[in-house]
Amino acid sequence: MSASKYKSYTDPELVSMCLKGDGHAWEALIRRYRRLIYSVPVRFGFEDADAADVFQAVCLKLLEHLHQVKDDRRISAWLITTTTRQCLHLRTLKSRETTTDEELQEPEDPTINLEGLRLMAEQQQAIREAVQELGERCRILIRLLYFDTTTPSYDGISEQMGIPVASIGPTRARCLDKLRTMLRRRGIR
Amino acid sequence: MRHITSEGLINYVEGRVSEREKSVVEDHLSACKDCSELKEELQSLVSRLREDASFEPPAELVQWGINLFQPVIRPETGGLPKFIASLVFDTYDQPMFAGMRRVGTPPRQLLFRAGAVDIDVKIEAMEANDRITLVGQVLSSATKFFDNTPVKLESHGMVRYRTQTNVVGEFSFDEVPKDTYHLSVDLPEGQITLFCVHRGNS
Repeated sequence: MSASKYKSYTDPELVSMCLKGDGHAWEALIRRYRRLIYSVPVRFGFEDADAADVFQAVCLKLLEHLHQVKDDRRISAWLITTTTRQCLHLRTLKSRETTTDEELQEPEDPTINLEGLRLMAEQQQAIREAVQELGERCRILIRLLYFDTTTPSYDGISEQMGIPVASIGPTRARCLDKLRTMLRRRGIR
Repeated sequence: MRHITSEGLINYVEGRVSEREKSVVEDHLSACKDCSELKEELQSLVSRLREDASFEPPAELVQWGINLFQPVIRPETGGLPKFIASLVFDTYDQPMFAGMRRVGTPPRQLLFRAGAVDIDVKIEAMEANDRITLVGQVLSSATKFFDNTPVKLESHGMVRYRTQTNVVGEFSFDEVPKDTYHLSVDLPEGQITLFCVHRGNS
């Protein structure tokens, strides 16, 4: 079965396939939610090594709890909660390792707004999913314009997509308009 | 009044306009609520799309997550059935008592369950030599012990260590290198697999 086929499966379908031993379904789940998971420790301000620890711990937890999330329509909420807990846990561990007894009496960092963080993570995931629902041409263009860390030039994009440089701007506008409409339907503006 | 197209607004928010065009757009935006709102919406969308690139985990980390599954859950190809034990307790998830400060790395205690079988595991890290000791016990809800039961420790898809349970179902892997392991217990009813991991921050 092709990888693109797995992209179209719902979370419960993928979890169910995982529980039957389908490694491709697991890969699709990890790829679907990799940025969601990693975004939480990044927003917490963790360094790369700590963000990687959180990512690994959450992947393990997901694998350990597949049976428990199999009926969840969307596991993004479970992942956001689990990843946030993991970040709070790590932050507590780190502060206890480095702070003095007096500092331990201090309240937790009030600058991290957990509800705001959850909302941002949910909305960001909704944007990723909406991008996936766009046509192939739009998906590729958005990936090259905004997700590609090598920031390819318009000439490079033109070559990769086989379209004239002059049509990149209008195509981008059409794709972003479609995306904006999809997000509005989901209550995101 | 002629509105600015989406393309014109996107060019503006992405800074792809000349000074003259910029001035024209800004004059229009100051007088047109609809275009101003659309510009805000497009700016927010573009900014979120760009921001998302910063949440991309390193490729090797993603691969690590994908590889977790491979050695453990395989489709049945005959032979004994395989069961994935579910984790029912983990000290890693328990909060510390208020005011307590962690000194060194405490042992991690886990309890897994597969049907009527419980597997109790304790992982203790030895900071001095960067190794872990993993001890456990296979228990049944029935009044019997799983003695002389093969127990294997796998990592990266290969069996690294083997041992057997003693008369009361206990087993031990002493001072093995820190890694992500899958523990398999071969019972007459089938093989039970579970995840035993030393986590760097536990």
